[in-house]
Amino acid sequence: MLIAMLMCYAGFTALCLATDRHHGELLRSKPSPARRLGLRVAGGLLLTLAIGPAVWVSGWAQGLVEWCAVLMLSALLLVLLLPYRPRLALILAGVGLLASPVAAFAIL
Amino acid sequence: MKSKTSLPLAYRFAVTSRVLAAVIGGYLMASLASICLALWLPTARADAVITGMMSSFVFYLLAVLWCFACRSAARAWLGVMLPSALFATLAGVGFWMTRT
Amino acid sequence: MREGFRQAMAWLHTWAGLIFGWLLFAIFLTGTLAYFKEEISHWMQPEVQTHPVDDVRSLNVAQQYLQANAPTAARWFINLPDAREPGLSVMWQDKVDPGQRGNFMRKTLDPVSGLAVQARESMGGEFFYRFHFQLQMPYPWGRWLSTLAAMVMFVALITGIITHKKIFKDFFTFRPRKGQRSWLDGHNAVGVLVLPFHLMITYSSLVIFMSMVMPAPILAAYGNDTQAFFSDVFPATDNAPALGQPGRLLPLASMYQQARAQWAGGHVERVAVNNPSDVNASVNVFRAGSDSVVHDFGSTVSFSGTTGELLRVSGEPSLPAVVGGSFYGLHMGRFAGPVLRWLYFICGLAGTAMIGTGLVIWLGKRQLKHAKAHVMPFELRLVEVLNIASMSGLLIAIAAFFWANRLLPVSFAERSGWEVQTFFIAWGLSLLHASVRRGRRGWVEQLSVAALLFMAIPVINALTTSHHLGVALASGDWAMAGFDLTCLACGVFFAWAARKMQRRGVPAPKAERARPLTLKREAH
Repeated sequence: MLIAMLMCYAGFTALCLATDRHHGELLRSKPSPARRLGLRVAGGLLLTLAIGPAVWVSGWAQGLVEWCAVLMLSALLLVLLLPYRPRLALILAGVGLLASPVAAFAIL
Repeated sequence: MKSKTSLPLAYRFAVTSRVLAAVIGGYLMASLASICLALWLPTARADAVITGMMSSFVFYLLAVLWCFACRSAARAWLGVMLPSALFATLAGVGFWMTRT
Repeated sequence: MREGFRQAMAWLHTWAGLIFGWLLFAIFLTGTLAYFKEEISHWMQPEVQTHPVDDVRSLNVAQQYLQANAPTAARWFINLPDAREPGLSVMWQDKVDPGQRGNFMRKTLDPVSGLAVQARESMGGEFFYRFHFQLQMPYPWGRWLSTLAAMVMFVALITGIITHKKIFKDFFTFRPRKGQRSWLDGHNAVGVLVLPFHLMITYSSLVIFMSMVMPAPILAAYGNDTQAFFSDVFPATDNAPALGQPGRLLPLASMYQQARAQWAGGHVERVAVNNPSDVNASVNVFRAGSDSVVHDFGSTVSFSGTTGELLRVSGEPSLPAVVGGSFYGLHMGRFAGPVLRWLYFICGLAGTAMIGTGLVIWLGKRQLKHAKAHVMPFELRLVEVLNIASMSGLLIAIAAFFWANRLLPVSFAERSGWEVQTFFIAWGLSLLHASVRRGRRGWVEQLSVAALLFMAIPVINALTTSHHLGVALASGDWAMAGFDLTCLACGVFFAWAARKMQRRGVPAPKAERARPLTLKREAH
């Protein structure tokens, strides 16, 4: 579940950055159309691929439930962090992405 | 609760009518729809009944949304009763078919 | 209603949400607590010790106890212990005339001694579980009301989605410290971000009671023989009736082994014996619900009680049965391990918060229009009182329930009923309090009381039992320790909330001067 959580959180952060408002708040610039598309694709991919580790460990039924739960909770965590600790929110996403391969090794 | 003067009686009557159409009419429509599914689905009897029951709540929801989205209380009743009559007919045919 | 589709849906969302919001808040909060009902029961009955004993031993002990204490019962139920519910419990239903519902008796047994555990009588976490769908009303009215509330919740969710124009644009938007705007952002956040859970829990609660609330298709397809429907769906209920001749029940352990063999290592959760003293006794062995996400209603193995003959093994469930079982299994969450269970809990709290913020927003919006007047119109005052009583009042009631568990004497015979009474008395008192105190003060005072009560729970636990936090942590009793720690954390949160409420009351005068100008423009 941990890898799925890290991937979902990073994915949502990417999707969040793809919006004008939040990109402006967090990175102080407007995203170019190319960047916006790239972030959207990356975000969507991360969210979808997160199904992989969840199902790999727990099977289809339980895995999908875990993925869904992790999806919701990572979004909630991001949205609650953003107004209070925006930099921490971004750092967590970066750290999470870096830590994912390590976490993946742990379950293999 | 919107202004200092109390709401006109006609408005209150219309709202009550819509609520009744939604709650009672909606339940009727949902029940009849589920009966149709239970009688017409080509699966085993218990399975058809389960499918009918599980889907009924979607019909109920649609009925409720219609009753408040349409332009008048009369339309609300119409929009619920007509499908109900249709489902009742289909159910009747289905029932007759299982008998013969 | 000529304003357009979205506005009509907004109207429906607002009114449906208000009328049923108070009830739904209680249902959601108690239902969320029910995800940890075993842990709550463990805290409330610390005398029930965990003994790592194997199932066969437990089964034999239970059978002996029931044979000695309830030989003529209509039905026996034996619930085997598992990781979360350490107690071996037995239940039996008295034999009464057909058509009547016999009384149920429940006892927790010590699997080592074979005697009933002398634990304090308490409903434990079961109280919250049962309340959230029975609402302390006589059968079947509570279930009807809670299912009606579920249908209204479904309508409120869908109309909420329709009304929320910028659902994707505002997906990540949460702007605190901006008054009403923040409350709405919060309501949207806990609503939209946790939407899959809310939709699942609401629709599944409708499906769970669908046979009761939507019986039309059963009657249409099966006519008068509704029992045939239930036998088709739940083969375990299709039991041979009592013949009226006495019979000897074989040891249940061998049937247990055979059933497990059928499931290739699946776990047995419960064994039910019908007409145990009759020659037509039948035994149903139920598979553990925690074995899979999809609750398989059919996964029972049935035996003849007197001959041991294998009567029936349920086959593979059909697609509709799998769908129905999925709804049931997802709602119950029995399959969830510790981490996932906490996630369920958090999602449940999010749903509760969604309803609570909605109620606050409903009132807040309309209160703005009456800010000038000193007296609130009756309707708004009523909503305010109900808001306070149904939310902070419920919190006080829950804490009082736990307090009663620790303070009532252990050997007091009616203590179980009195714990429940305390819950409702506390809730009633909070309603009284809310009706005599002005809005903000009512909130602050009740939240403060809730905070104190919750924070003190670990303390009274330490004072009245030997299972206090230190002992629990040292012995690795995570359920016990977790309960104390969660109560403490909740208490701290309520104290913070009370302080925020109090602080917000102070800068009101300045804002009030600015508002009349905007009000005049809006009113015309």
